[in-house]
Parts: sequence; structure tokens; C-alpha cells
Amino acid sequence: MKKNFKSILQVPSKKHSLILGTVIALALTGCTKNFEKYNTNPNALTSAQSNIIAPTAFGPMEQAIYSNYQRAQNLSADCYSGYMQSGIDFGTQNNVTYVMNDGWNSTGFNDEYNLVMAPIHALATTTTVKTKNPEMWGVALLIQVEAMSRVTDRFGPIPYSKVATSLVTAPYDDQQSVYQQFFKQIDTAVTNINAYIATNPTKSSLGASDYIYGGNYTEWLKFANSLRLRLAMRIVKADAATAQQQAEKAMADPGGLLTVPTDDAAIAQTGGRENDLHQICGDWQNTNLNASLQTYLVGYNDPRLAIYATPATANAGYNLAGQYVGLRLGLTESANGNYKLYAALNTTTTFAFATPQLIMTAAEVWFLKAEAALRGWAGAGTAQTDYEQGITTSMSQWGANIGNYLSDATSTEAAYTDPANSANNSPAVSTITIKWDPTATQEQQLERIITQKWLAIFPDGQEAWSDWRRTGYPQLFTTANNLSGGVVNSQTGARRLPYPSSEHTTNTAAYNNAITLLGGADNAGTRLWWDVNKANF
Amino acid sequence: MSMKKKLLTCFIVCSSAGAFFASSAMAAANSRHFLTTHAPSFQVNADRSIKGTVKDDAGATLPGVSVTVKGTTRGTQTDVNGRFTLTANQGDVLVFSYIGYNTKEVTVGTDAVMAVTLTSNASQLDVIVVTALGVKRSQKSLTYAQQQIKGSEINDVKTDNLMNALNGKVAGLDVQPSASGVGGSVKVLLRGARSFAGNNQPLYVIDGVPMANPVNINGQNPIGTATAAGNTTGQPNDNFGGQPDGGDGISNLNPDDIESITVLEGASAAALYGSQAANGVIVINTKKGKAGKAEINFSSSFLASNAVAEPQFQNQYGRTSPTTQTSWGSAISGGENNLKDYFQTGNNFTNSLDISLGNESAQTYFSYANTTASGIEPNNKLERNNFNIHESAKLLNNKLTIDGSVNYIDQKVTNSPALGLYLNPLVGLYLFPRGLNILPYKNQYNIPDASGLTHQNWISNSDDSQQQNPWWTTYMDPNTLQRNRVIMNGSAKYEFTNWFNVQVRGSLDRTSDNYQMDEYAGTISTYNSNGLGHLSYNNQTTEQKYADAIANFNAPKWGDFKLDGLIGASITDMLLNGTGTNGDLAVTPNFFSTTNIIAAKAVPTPYFEHTQLQSIFESANLSYKDFVYLALTNRSDWNSTLAYTESDHYNYPSVGLSFILSQMFQMPKAISYAKVRASYANVGNGVPPYLTLIQNTQNTTTGALTFNNAQALATLKPESTHSFEIGTDWKFIDNSINFSFTYYNTHTYNQYFTLTPPAATLITQGYVNAGNIQNTGIEFTLGADVVKGSALTWNTSFIGSMNRNKVIEVDPADNLNLAVLTGTSGNSFGYESVLAKGGSYGDIYGFTTVRNAQGQIVLTGTGPNNYAPQKSSSLSYVGNANPKFQLGWNNSFSRGNFTLSFLVDGKFGGQVLSLTQAMMDSYGVSKASGDARANGGVSINAVNQAGAAVTSIPASNWYQAIGGRNAFTDQYIYSATVVRLRQADLGYTWAIANSAVKSVKLSLIGRNLIYFYKKAPFDPEIATSTGNGLSGVDLFNMPATRNVGLSLNVRF
Repeated sequence: MKKNFKSILQVPSKKHSLILGTVIALALTGCTKNFEKYNTNPNALTSAQSNIIAPTAFGPMEQAIYSNYQRAQNLSADCYSGYMQSGIDFGTQNNVTYVMNDGWNSTGFNDEYNLVMAPIHALATTTTVKTKNPEMWGVALLIQVEAMSRVTDRFGPIPYSKVATSLVTAPYDDQQSVYQQFFKQIDTAVTNINAYIATNPTKSSLGASDYIYGGNYTEWLKFANSLRLRLAMRIVKADAATAQQQAEKAMADPGGLLTVPTDDAAIAQTGGRENDLHQICGDWQNTNLNASLQTYLVGYNDPRLAIYATPATANAGYNLAGQYVGLRLGLTESANGNYKLYAALNTTTTFAFATPQLIMTAAEVWFLKAEAALRGWAGAGTAQTDYEQGITTSMSQWGANIGNYLSDATSTEAAYTDPANSANNSPAVSTITIKWDPTATQEQQLERIITQKWLAIFPDGQEAWSDWRRTGYPQLFTTANNLSGGVVNSQTGARRLPYPSSEHTTNTAAYNNAITLLGGADNAGTRLWWDVNKANF
Repeated sequence: MSMKKKLLTCFIVCSSAGAFFASSAMAAANSRHFLTTHAPSFQVNADRSIKGTVKDDAGATLPGVSVTVKGTTRGTQTDVNGRFTLTANQGDVLVFSYIGYNTKEVTVGTDAVMAVTLTSNASQLDVIVVTALGVKRSQKSLTYAQQQIKGSEINDVKTDNLMNALNGKVAGLDVQPSASGVGGSVKVLLRGARSFAGNNQPLYVIDGVPMANPVNINGQNPIGTATAAGNTTGQPNDNFGGQPDGGDGISNLNPDDIESITVLEGASAAALYGSQAANGVIVINTKKGKAGKAEINFSSSFLASNAVAEPQFQNQYGRTSPTTQTSWGSAISGGENNLKDYFQTGNNFTNSLDISLGNESAQTYFSYANTTASGIEPNNKLERNNFNIHESAKLLNNKLTIDGSVNYIDQKVTNSPALGLYLNPLVGLYLFPRGLNILPYKNQYNIPDASGLTHQNWISNSDDSQQQNPWWTTYMDPNTLQRNRVIMNGSAKYEFTNWFNVQVRGSLDRTSDNYQMDEYAGTISTYNSNGLGHLSYNNQTTEQKYADAIANFNAPKWGDFKLDGLIGASITDMLLNGTGTNGDLAVTPNFFSTTNIIAAKAVPTPYFEHTQLQSIFESANLSYKDFVYLALTNRSDWNSTLAYTESDHYNYPSVGLSFILSQMFQMPKAISYAKVRASYANVGNGVPPYLTLIQNTQNTTTGALTFNNAQALATLKPESTHSFEIGTDWKFIDNSINFSFTYYNTHTYNQYFTLTPPAATLITQGYVNAGNIQNTGIEFTLGADVVKGSALTWNTSFIGSMNRNKVIEVDPADNLNLAVLTGTSGNSFGYESVLAKGGSYGDIYGFTTVRNAQGQIVLTGTGPNNYAPQKSSSLSYVGNANPKFQLGWNNSFSRGNFTLSFLVDGKFGGQVLSLTQAMMDSYGVSKASGDARANGGVSINAVNQAGAAVTSIPASNWYQAIGGRNAFTDQYIYSATVVRLRQADLGYTWAIANSAVKSVKLSLIGRNLIYFYKKAPFDPEIATSTGNGLSGVDLFNMPATRNVGLSLNVRF
């Protein structure tokens, strides 16, 4: 410890001798040797202790995929996907009327860096996990790809390869490069996990610290392949060759894919976390069933209706009680104050306080395979089998009685009637039926696959919004109020979220470059790299 | 032995040796001086030793009084206790002279001990003031501005928090009370705010010893980690709030124990206190026992308070529909004044008794005070008992003075109103649909369930505003804060010679807080998600130990030069230890015990902070002919918060110079006194604890490893404030007019900041030292005895100050020109308190209304039915709450037994934000929204998407767009200028002769009586938080109060 004692004596020299000469210094001052002890927080860990409990860092990272769920996803993707809509207006000018709320949307960016990537970076740099437990590192990479793919699919180019390289700035990568890195990281994860399973067939180094699979590496391997397939399909319009190559690699991997509901990846609410939809819809009554989801489920007589939703609880003067009436996207409360009484999510049984939250299901993977088959990719099987297996798996996942659903060739989406405001009424926008029709056009078959996929992967609004942007399916009601002043086209809807304003203010140069990489204005009307404005086939 | 200790030992030994040598040399010089020039008389007459004590007419001892034998040049001066020893003959005349007092001649009689009282000389008035470390100095020797306030000025009109009584009375002082009812804290700023993340409030010093100013942090935001840095007030850091104000330490004191308060505004005055004093110092001098006849004082005051400056409601339109919470419905005839059903008349009843007695060798002071107060919100109560005993004694032939005091404070605050939106009863009260009567909800706020519990009776069971039945919040979500505090002080001073003494002091200030908030089952699910109730609980002990040793010297005159000074060392050790927990009840409804919290959340969160500051300081004052003064100080601090950095030490000097022009030059007769002064000081400050070693933590509920991704972006260094001031003091026409003026300029560099780097740096929080915040201002006082005389006196004074705050730079090294003081979570309400390059501290940033180049509002929508203004997508500057100029006008009259005083004060400039208004507008309950409907819409200068002019828009479109929780901030900015009759006091005194009762004084008192000017829809002085953010923001703040009452003072 360097101490500068000279300075004590640096009183002006004339005074110096006088002061020293005429008084006795009685110094109570002791010693500063305890200062390091005093300034060490007794309620914090030493680095050795951190290392011992490193696996416990995984669960919170997994749960952080849905950090700030309401602001990060529910008030954007969950609404844009036609799943939900808030019955209260949040000030009318917000995401659903296409006036983008920075404070909400920024959480879907910042939290994933702060709570997923930062701890994974700390795992690599401050613990021995990456070197001594490569299988755990593999899982960490899968968590990172799962979380960050949601971020890039919201915003477009994101900082990825050059994170944590500077204390004050973080350069962006274009989205194509981000996807290439995702695939490489999945490669590493698969290699590491395979190696571990081969040598430790009965062991689990993560155990209960893993809130998704309880440390079951065989399931993580299926998840890795399924995630690769999901990401491959996403980029099919932008980079068809890579899409096909990665999808075929995923479908060919001996580790396999998620095939049955017990393979579903869901984050447990360990630690007392509350299911986000239970909180948003049940506790806060801040979201309701969207008119689009209502009209499809009702029109199809879908047995999942009562599982997903609860009917309106009060009449509110419109004979509403007991009816499944959802809400149009983009409502403003000025029309009526009763919207929060409309049909809501089933927070009693389906989305209870401690219900785990899904990040990927076997049903989704069957629909991905159905689309791969439709595109003629190797290893996908036949579209019809995959499609029907997708529906069956979903019904089984939700505990619904499938009945003769698969053979229903007539039911279509219902029309929408808003008892409170007829201006919101709309005829059905889609005529697609349920039963597989081998004679239908490729485009109709795609609509059928994606529509059923959308019904199956509820409530993953993030994935559903991405599918809708990529394929245009399912066909959804447009927003009831577009207050964007022309920034967002009412017909094509929101294509992305603007970057957090903090990126503009604190990461300025990188942000400006990101706009170049984005290739359009930083608003909700600009399409992402994989969202190519062209026909599906 | 560490290197430091070795050096220190060496330092002490060397200086002791030096002292010995030099003091003998000095003594030799002195005796030579006497011997050579006055040898004959000395030898002939020196046959008796005379001792004595000199006091002023108030009984206080006077140090530094010149005592000479008339007709000779023999003499001495009194020591710090007013004592002198001199050799003289019986029959000699001793001349006692002292600046500010009439010279007195006393003939030496047969007694060897003399008691001399000097009467103050109004024409030469020079007040003795208490400066840093409790050192008393003559005001004229000071090289900096300071202001002394008598105890009576605080006590004549009592306030809940004694700092409120200083509002408008001290130049450069800005006091903002929090909107938190009885027992609430205050925000005190001296010469503006300067620290981004640290505390901006002054240091409080009691009898020379720094006081802890503990706040209870309510268990909501446990500190000890960087996440709460800057939020040391226990108060909201964002608009959601929900936590009550935990009260501050200064409000615990009994104002009747206060003899006087000295406000040291600038760093120069405070430099000897070091780190803690960068924001100025408020020195509190408490009463001591006095020798002589026992004196008993009893005082009693009663104040009643009523809400003023409440929001304005409309009474023309009713509820939108039978199930809504809004009031956009059809016309109604006459509304209801629902506020009167909720607000009550608050009161404050303070009784205090003090007893002073003693003799020359021992004195005792004892006091007891009881304060019982109720706020204007029901169930908000304060109960406080203060005990104080203060003993002084002189031993060992009066060479040793021992002084000790014990203060015990017991305080209970019940139902301190929550600040912000959450759990605030005013939300439901204000937004209640117009036209409906709220009384049924008051009479029955809870409805019994079949299960034996009760649920809430309210028009809304879930609403974006998170409103509840106000009486439910009041009675079914109660909080209590119980505080026990002990302050013990002890000091011993030994006088080696009449010009040299050593003093050792120690103090302990220990505060234990118990906070609990019970939310009953039936409380809305936002706060009670498990439905069985919710408990917040917090236990906290704050302990500050302080010790110092100071050697004082007051060298005998050396020709025309005089030198005095001190050297000392001190140690301050601060310990904060607490646990808090906060969780939903798990099993038994409404069983508020930590055993009944949902298991995963039941683990209490511990927090702990230990900091230590060690210091060495020196000061020297040199004067020439009593008209030129040079003051030098130096202080070195070692701060534990800088452990692990390159240096935990910093050093800072101050220098000051003053000239008494009126003694240096012949001045016109009208000028009785003239002085100019200048000083420069540099004060350092440490950083918060636990930032220099980055440690991971373990999650309280799950035990999971939680990485600490915070990082010091540069090696942390101490903050540094450079302060320069220059001023002048004048008195005219036999001192009947006085004028004082000070200009100051301070720069705070190397501020400790926490900043949020871009998320993808993977650093969640960065700690830096950066910035340059400048405060420049002037302060003046102008006072006059307008009417002097025995029949009528009238004294008037103006106290003014102007402060300009400028952020010269934020953090250019990190390319950062802007930092946010408040939590940015969600930008809800569109409010941030911002520090931006080129701006001022606490700039209000918010959403603005989108306008075209011509300044016209651009509407979306296709026609009057759906026209709506558009809101900017990002936040920008909309105002600043800091007042630009403050002026207080004090008047006091006396005629016969009547006294009358009043204070008018104004704070001019600045802007405030009313989010209450924004919420009320969007719910259609505000007067503005009703008037607009009655007028057929809101008149606007706007264009639609096609570019066509629009001059009117339906009120509901307008107010539902601009108001609410996502308000257009710029529409809710108001002028902060306010001019008020702050205080008035009319008293009558009965002087009673020949009775046990000496005098009785009865006064009619009032505070906050009249607003002469106020444009904001609330009292702009009141703050949502006394922390660094949320200044000038009204979010369902409790209204200001007008207080009127009686005070009785009896002297025995």
C-alpha cells in the first residue's frame, strides 16, 4: 500500500515550523491495515466460493430468457402474433397502436445481455466451467442462442461477436453473421454434449441446477438439433442454401429432435418465480385473448379453446358473460372501458402461478419438419404425416381430446363481433381449413401448416410473430388503430422493434453502423434480413 | 507496524520535541520582552496573583478578553474558558477590553478571585460564532460567509422537522420537505447540488461532533450493493414508489435543546470537517447548564394543519359507464367534494421542559420533550419523546473541563404515506368517478367474506392506476416505523497554560429502526399476488463512533501579530447492519409473521456496511493589528472505501484572507464597519463502500450464484470539490443597517458515478470518476433596524441567493454526455432526472408533443372522432426544478409586551411536473378536462395528416392522449415560482416580579399561511423524494399544509 505522507507536511513552510513547534499532535489515528477488510462485503462470495457453486448460475440464466416478460414480449410479440391484446389502454399511444414504447421494448434487448450473455461471459472468464465442464458450457451456449435469437428476431443486427471487447462500446454484427454464429455455437454444444454423454452415460453434472431439463443431456441434444432446425427455417427466404443445409443437418443428427411432449423445453419456476402470464393476465388483468386467436379457435371448434382461454366473466351491459370474445389488436380505451372483462387466458389451470414456461415444443418441431418436407428437404419425411403428428402432439401436450379434428375439412375461422364497438367487427380473413389436402397448392399447404403451428405453439408469441412476418401466416386481423403516422403500414404490420434509445445515446457510433447494417430506418416498419418481401416459394 | 504507523509515530515524536523546543523559546522570548521593557514595575508590584472569569451579559464565558493593569502595559488575555490569571496589587485598576463589548474597569479589592461581566456594545457588535470543530471565533476574523440562527428562531414556530424552520432564513439554503406527512424527512441543499451519485445534503454537527443522519431504508431496497447507490434516502427512485419515507436523523432532535445553529455554507468554512463537508455544514450548538440560580423553562405549542393547494376537480360530467373508473360520461348536476371525507385536520402538540442549574464548578442541563402529531391523512401519527442530560464540570484547579451528554430519542411513526403511485391512498381518492359519493366506501371499506376474512369494497378491483379504496390502504395496509436512538458525547479538555490546551472527545450515535408493513388479504393482487396478504419487514441498526483529539493554541501577542490554531486527529467509524424481508403470506391469511412468508422468499436479506475515515488536520490563524486575518487549514483523510485502489488517502487545504477596512482606513462616519474577505478551499470525498473489490453474490432465495457484472471503468479516486468565494460585510449608521454579500464558484471534479454502459459491453454498471459540475452564485443579506427605541422597534431583513448550476462535462473519457439520476425502468410517466453536458443538475427529461416546423401540433387520425396528438419517441429536456433565485423577507416588531414577526419568502424560476394532473386529466376528473368539455373541446393550434389546420379537438381525445401513465411530459410542466407568507408569530409577554414564575409568553403562530403567487397545481416546494432524483415531481403527493396554532412559554 502506497501512502503519501509527505502531503500531511505540505503546509506552507512558514507556518510549518510554527505549527509543529507549538503544539503536540495527539494522533488517535490508528492504522489503515483493516481498510481492505472493511471494504470487503461480508455478504458476498470469494472467487473460490463462486467456482464451487457455478452450476447454480444456470437456472437464473434460463429464467432470464423471459426476463421482464410483459415489456419484452407480451406488449409486442404476443399482441402482433394475434395471441393477446391488453384490455386496458396504457395511454393509447403504445406498441399496439404502432407507437413504439422505448421503455418497454428496450428491456427485450438489454435484459438478455445483462442477464444471459453477461453471466455466460462471466462463467467463461471467472470460473473453470468452460475448460473443466465443456458439457455445461455447451448448455450455456444453447441458452445463449435461444435467448439471443429472440433478440435478433426483434431488432435485427445486434452486437454478438464483439461483445465484452470494450468497456464503453459494443459494435453490431449484421443478422446473417449472427445466424452463422448461432449455428457454429450449436455445433460446439452438440460436440461437447455428445462427448460427455459418451463418457458419462449415467451422470449429470448440472443436475437440478438446470431448470429446463434437470441436467438431462440427452434432452439438451434433442433441443440443440431442434433449435438448429427452427433457426434454419427462419432464414429460408434470405439464404435458402444455408437454411436447407442446416435443417438437413439437424434432421440427420443421431441425437434426434424433440418428438413427444415429454421432450418439451420449459423453464421451471424454481425459486418462487411466478408464471409471467399468470402475473400479467391473472394478477394484473393486463392482457386478454386476441380476436384472431378467438376466431380461429371458435371457428375450428378447437378443443384447446377452453384450455387456452376463459370466457368473459361479466356482462358489462352486452350479454358478454360466458362468451369467448377476444380483443382486436390496437384498441384504445376511449371507445369503452370494459375490454378487460372480455375473454382472458386460462390462468386457473393452464397458466397457474408455478406453471413452467415453454421455450420449444415437440409440436413445433413436427410443423418445422412439415414445412421442410413441403420444401423437399432430406430427412423431413412427408408433409402430411408431420402436419398431423404436429396437431396430435399439441393436443396431447395440452391434454385436449382431439376427436375428429384432423378430418374436419369444413370449419374455418369465424367472423369477429365486438359487442361494445361495431367498428371493430370484421369478417373472417382466412378460409383455410384443418384437414390436410394433398391437392392444395404449396402456398395453401404452407398456410395450413403455419396456421396449425400457430395454434399449437401458443403462447410463444415471439416465435409466432416471426413465422407471421416470414410467411404471412396465419392471416390476422389488422390493427384497429394505427397511430404511427404512416411509419407502419396497417396491412403489413410491425416488422421489428426500434433499438433502445440508450443504444443511440451511449453506443452512438456502433448504433449508427447498425442502422447501415439494418438497411432501413430504425423504426417498426423496416424489414429484417430474413424477412424478405417476396413470395414464399 | 505498518509504514503509516511508523511515520505517524515519527511525526508525533518529532512534533512533540519541536513543540518543547519552540515553546520554551517562545516563553523565553516573552519573558525577555517583559523583563527588558517593564522590569521596574514588574518587580515592584508583583506580589499578588489575581484570578478571575469574564463572561458576557448572557452568562457565556468570553475567551480572548484583553486584561491590562491600568497605567502599565502589563496584561494578559482570557483563555478559552474566559479565565485569566494576573499579578497585581490591591488598588490597581484592571481594564477589560474585548471587541464588541464595552470596556470595563475594575479595581482590585481584597478578593483574589474576580467575576467580571462585560456588556455588549451594540455600536461595535462583533458576534462570537461557532465554527468548524466547535471552535469559537470572532465573526470579523472569518474569511468566509456563514450565518448564525438563534434557537428562538427555530422554536417560536415549531415544525415537524426543525430544518423546515430554516427555510427562507439562510442565504444559499434551499429546504424541500418531502410529501410524507408527520415524521417526514427534508432535502437540504447549500449552494446547489453537486454530487451525482452521492449525498448532496450537508453534514450535521452537534457540539463539534459530526452526527449520523440515519434513514430507514424500509427493506425495499437493501443497500450494500451498487444497485442502490445514490438511493440512501429509503425513498422512491422511480415514479412507482410504494415505499414510505423512513424519516431522517435531523428530525429526531428536540428543537428546544438548541441554543443556536450556524450554517457554514461553503467548503471553505467546512474544510476542517473534510470529506463529509463538501456540501456545507450545519452546526448545531445545544444548551448547557449555567452557573447560578436554577432556571426552568416550560413550553407548549399546538398547531392545527389543513390541506392546501389541493388538485382541482370538475363537477359537470359523471362516470363514463357504470363499470368504468373514468369520468367521461354525461352531464351531471353538481359534484361531490370527496376530499373532505378523507383529509382531516392534522395537529402537532409539543410540550417541553428544560432545567438548568449549577455552580462555578459543575453545571447540569436536563430536558424532556414530547411531540404528538397527526397528519392530514387519517391514521398518520407521530409520537416522540426526547430526553437529554448534559453535565459540565471543572476539576483540578479548573484546569480540566469535563463535559458529557446523553440524548435518548424514542419515536414511532405510524402510516407514513407511501410516496409515488403504489400503495398511495390518494390515487383512489383523486380518480374516484365524479358525481359519485365516496362516503359509502369510507363507511364500509371492507366487506366480510364467507371465510371470515374481509375483502376490499371499491369501485375498481384492478386498474392501470393500481388504485385501491383509500381507507383500505390507510387501515388495511398499515406501516409503522419505530426508532430508538441514543447519542452520547463526552469530552475532556486540559489546559496546560492559558494559551495551550488539549481536548479529547468521543461520541456514539446509535439508531435502531424497526419497520413493518402489513398488507391484508383483499389488497389488490399487484401487492398481494398470493391473496393471503403480504409482509414487509426491516430491522436496521446504524452506529457511528467518532473520536478526536485536538491541541489548541492561542499564542500571546507578538507585536502586532497574533497567532492561534490547532492540530488534531479524528476517526469516524460507521456501521450499518440490517436485515429485511418482503414476501407474500403463504399459509395463514393475515398472519403477519416471517414464519408465514412463502418459503422461497422467507429468507431475510442481510445488508451490512462498514466504513472508516481517519484524519489528521491542522489550522492556523494569523492576524495583524486585528484588521488583517489569514486563515489556513489542511486536512488529510484515509478512507476505507478506497481500499484496493492505488491510494486510500487524499489531502486538501484551504486558505482565506480578510481585511477590516473600517479599521485600516479612515471611513465616513456613516460607515461603522467594513470588511472584505476571500477564501479558497478544496474538499475531497470518498466513494460508496464495496465498489473497489468486485464480488459475486448468492441469491437470497435460491442460493444461486449471481455474477457481479459491475465494473470500475477506471481506478476509483476520491471526488474533489474546489470552492472559491469572495465577499464583503458592511454596517452603516451606528450599525443600524447591515449588508453582506458573497459570490462563490464551486467545481466538483472526479465525481463518483455509476453509469450504464451499452448492454452488450456485458458490464451492467460501470463506476467512474468523471464530471465537472459548476455551481456559481451570489448570496446577500440586508438588514435594518428601521425603528429603534423603547416604545417601538422594527427590524427588517432581506435574505437572498441565486445559484446557477451547470454541468460542464459528464464523462468525456467514456464518451458519455448524459447520465440519468432516476431509475429508467420503463420510462413510465415519461420522466427522468438527467445530468447532461451543458444542462443543469436534475434536468427534467420527458416526452414531448410532436410539432411541425411552424410549432403546430401534428395530429394522427382522420377526423374529430379519432384525432390525437403524437408523442415523441424519446425523452428530451422539458424543464429544471432548481429555483433560480430565492428571497426571504423577515420582519420583527416589538411594542411594549407585544412582539410580531413574519416571514415572506419566494422561490423564483424553475419548472415542476405534475403527473397527478396527467392522471386526473386522463380519467376525466380534473377541472381542466371538465372545462374543456363545457367549452366544446380543447383549443389547439394543430394540423392533421393532410396538413389542414385543426383548431379544436374533443376533450376526451386530447386528455386521454396527453394524460395518464404515459403522459406527454411537456404538457404537464408548470412554473415552480412560489411566493408565500411562510411564517407569522404574534406574542405577548407578561413579566412577573416577585413570583416563582418569572415570565409567561403566549403567541399566536402560523406557517405556510398565504400563497401570494403560485401557478403549479400543487405546492412546488414539496418533493416526492429527498434523494437526488424526483425533485419537483408531483405524483399523488400529499398536499401541502397550512398550520395555525398557539404557543406558550413559561420561565421559572
